[in-house]
Amino acid sequence: MLRSRNFVRFMAVAVLTVALTAVGLVHAQDKKIITTGINMVGSDLETIDPGLAQTVSSVEAINELFVGLTSTNPKDNSLIPGIASSYDVSSDSLTFTFHLADNIPWVRYNKDTDAVEEVKDDKGAVRMVTAQDVVYGIVRGLDPKTASPYAYVYPDFIAGAGDFEAGKATAADVKVKAVDAKTVEITAPAAIGFAPFIYGLWTLRPVPQWAIEASGDKWTEAENINTYGPFALKEWAHDTGLTLIKNPFWPATADIPAPKVDEVVLRFLDPQQQYAEYQAGNMDAITLDPTFIDQVKADATLSKEYVNGNSFCTYYTGFNTLKAPMDNVHLRRALSLAIDRQSIVDNVTKGGQIPAQWFARPGLTAAPTLQDYPDLGIKSNADEAKKEIELAKKDLGGTIPQLTFAYGDVGTNAAISQAIQQMWTDTLGVTVQLTAMDSKTYFSKVHEDPPQIYRSGWCKDYSDADNFDNVVFHSGSTQNDTGFANADFDKLVDGARLETDLKKRTDAYAKAEDILVNQVAAMAPVYWYTTNLMVKPNIERAESVTGNEAYYLWDKS
Amino acid sequence: MAQYITRRFLWMLMVLFVISLITFLLMHSVPGGPFDGEKKISANTLEILNKKYHLSDPITKQYLDYIGDIVVPRVLPGAKAIDTAEDYLVVIPVPQALFGPNQYLKWINLGPTFASRSRSVNDILRDNFPISVQLGVAALVISLAIGMPLGIISALKPNTPYDYLGMGTAILGVSVPVIISAPLLQYFFSVQLKALPVTGWGNIQSMILPAFALGFVNSAIIARLTRASLLQVMGEDYIRTARAKGLSERVVIMVHALKNSLIPVVTVLGPLFAGLVTGTFVVETVFGIPGMGKYFVTSITGRDYPVIMGTILIYAFILVVMNLFVDVGYAWLDPRIRFD
Repeated sequence: MLRSRNFVRFMAVAVLTVALTAVGLVHAQDKKIITTGINMVGSDLETIDPGLAQTVSSVEAINELFVGLTSTNPKDNSLIPGIASSYDVSSDSLTFTFHLADNIPWVRYNKDTDAVEEVKDDKGAVRMVTAQDVVYGIVRGLDPKTASPYAYVYPDFIAGAGDFEAGKATAADVKVKAVDAKTVEITAPAAIGFAPFIYGLWTLRPVPQWAIEASGDKWTEAENINTYGPFALKEWAHDTGLTLIKNPFWPATADIPAPKVDEVVLRFLDPQQQYAEYQAGNMDAITLDPTFIDQVKADATLSKEYVNGNSFCTYYTGFNTLKAPMDNVHLRRALSLAIDRQSIVDNVTKGGQIPAQWFARPGLTAAPTLQDYPDLGIKSNADEAKKEIELAKKDLGGTIPQLTFAYGDVGTNAAISQAIQQMWTDTLGVTVQLTAMDSKTYFSKVHEDPPQIYRSGWCKDYSDADNFDNVVFHSGSTQNDTGFANADFDKLVDGARLETDLKKRTDAYAKAEDILVNQVAAMAPVYWYTTNLMVKPNIERAESVTGNEAYYLWDKS
Repeated sequence: MAQYITRRFLWMLMVLFVISLITFLLMHSVPGGPFDGEKKISANTLEILNKKYHLSDPITKQYLDYIGDIVVPRVLPGAKAIDTAEDYLVVIPVPQALFGPNQYLKWINLGPTFASRSRSVNDILRDNFPISVQLGVAALVISLAIGMPLGIISALKPNTPYDYLGMGTAILGVSVPVIISAPLLQYFFSVQLKALPVTGWGNIQSMILPAFALGFVNSAIIARLTRASLLQVMGEDYIRTARAKGLSERVVIMVHALKNSLIPVVTVLGPLFAGLVTGTFVVETVFGIPGMGKYFVTSITGRDYPVIMGTILIYAFILVVMNLFVDVGYAWLDPRIRFD
């Protein structure tokens, strides 16, 4: 008797389980969910607070949740409208008046109803994205109390920002004004043609003041956050993943349409684990670890799913031009000429990287391209390198002392540095001591007391050559660890910043690059980065050259 | 006994204090700070961040403040932590009549983490630590379930094929580190056979491979110890006496030999348990498990000072408590051991 009752119970549970699973499966099939690991690493996102973000991973999520005043077309990096449907520029090119779209509500995900809903204020009215929200977001991003790592970008583009950041002025002195609920006026200290791009950067995006005041540091948690972009935040499982859900209230525009998929799951996995999940069929798109590239290219199916794209980063070797014997230009030029860049990208990095002849990566606005400037900068040339090393030896009294080459011991740095060390020994007969350090030790060392030779890199904050040449190598830059200071270079990049004619700007950067990498040879560009992705055939990925994906354009069949 | 435990408890506090002091001094003497990166942040921003997290205070003040935040209970307003630097593990409402409205007794603040700006070390303790405990306990059970029988069989049939097979398995377990075995298990069982999840956490299936990978390595240690100890005990006089009394071989082994041979095994169980429940970097990374193990490594590479201190202190706390249990366990296993 007992036995049979147990059996009935067991059967009931079994049937119920099967039924529920079936319902769940049907339900899951209705929804289009993309699981992706692109730009994610094996640890939690540092933040999704636009004011604090500094990594590509953080910005990946932020771009889907918060849209800037302006935005960039992922396909070609051109300027497109963001939450401002249009803007006017004053005759002196200093004041920008942005006209906000009037139909963008703040939204939140409601766990109980499993739906995205509009955020209401105390009186029950829907909170719309207003000019005040924009001003609050910008001022908060610049506020020294926020301590944004990106605050340093803005003083050149927003009048009063520099003094405010330094604590010498108040928020009221920042020249950002809400003219009315739908109009924002920003005044720049100088007429810089690409300023509208800057006003769309993540640090300056509108953020919900009420949510931040209520929840403090915890406002970015899924239960507290309010957003307005094409996706809303459904879940942020720390150390595991972040789920974005389609925001039905996003007013689809021609440039930023309504998402075609229901959810996007960003998983925080190391590239090795991403690849395993991808092979098992559990992930739709991943960043491909360089160690698997050979394997993927050799496989008939996998090679078709491989995508090689742009990444606006440059890998370079910095020289401390103030430290003997690296203060010798012939030595620096010899070292740069002796690096066989093609061999490094073919045999070490293998990810379709491009041998770099100069610093500002082609594809950035106003950066020279290899098509238009095939002979610009520095090319690997063993014969020239040998001539230069002879000149250097003459200057240095016959011999080159042993040099020190430091790098942060992560990723492919060790392999690349060893390859370069070998090239210098083989081609120039120079002995180089490699010094590997852990990342934090390395960065503090490079910024405080740069070694003779050090590994470095730079990734864009905004897609303009200015962000490379001016921001890094201007004599007044805090990012310039080489000690390179050249009046002609400064004049060229300062001029290019204010110039509006694209051809003239590009020419100016080309001339500046020639000084930087050839005449002075303060650094040796090694390669221009690429992204290596795998995307399943049933996924329609939107092409993106910005280094971040535009999931609101993706589809799944 | 009570006196012994009290004395050990006081020693434990002393040990934790010394560990915290050494860790604190060591981590601050390593070059590089939490905010160093490829892009140098402006001097102004750095100063603000250092001030915000009290990193510009004198080192002794930083240490005393840190210990104070953990040890000293406080009465503060608000139940919810708004600031990651003000997140307390224990929050108990206090009578309104005495302290005023919305006041809480708060105790144990392990500080913020720099790696995740919306979380605190207590968040890691609340969210990640239980996952490591689950995995660690499962791994420990597996290692005992494999290790003890292997060791017993090898000891009872020394120098036979059983012994060679058992010890061969043990040597395989010790010599193949998890950094090799974990991805291999993942590749065969998850990617190829698709029998188990590749990564993730939250159900029994996703627990099997990581628990086995971790458990197998440690089972080898337990098997070796059990074998050696049991072999020695089997040669003792009292085993001969037991046999002479006419006890069955089963009783001789299970009651007399095994219990007495467990002392070395119990000794390693303490540290083993502490190591397993606080998480393992490799296994967590390979199987994408949101445990606490990876924080032991990433906190150091990231100079995430409060997380370094927090993880080390949690580990040390569990270790000393487990060692106390082990010592008390000795008395039960071997009545000759006395605590006076």
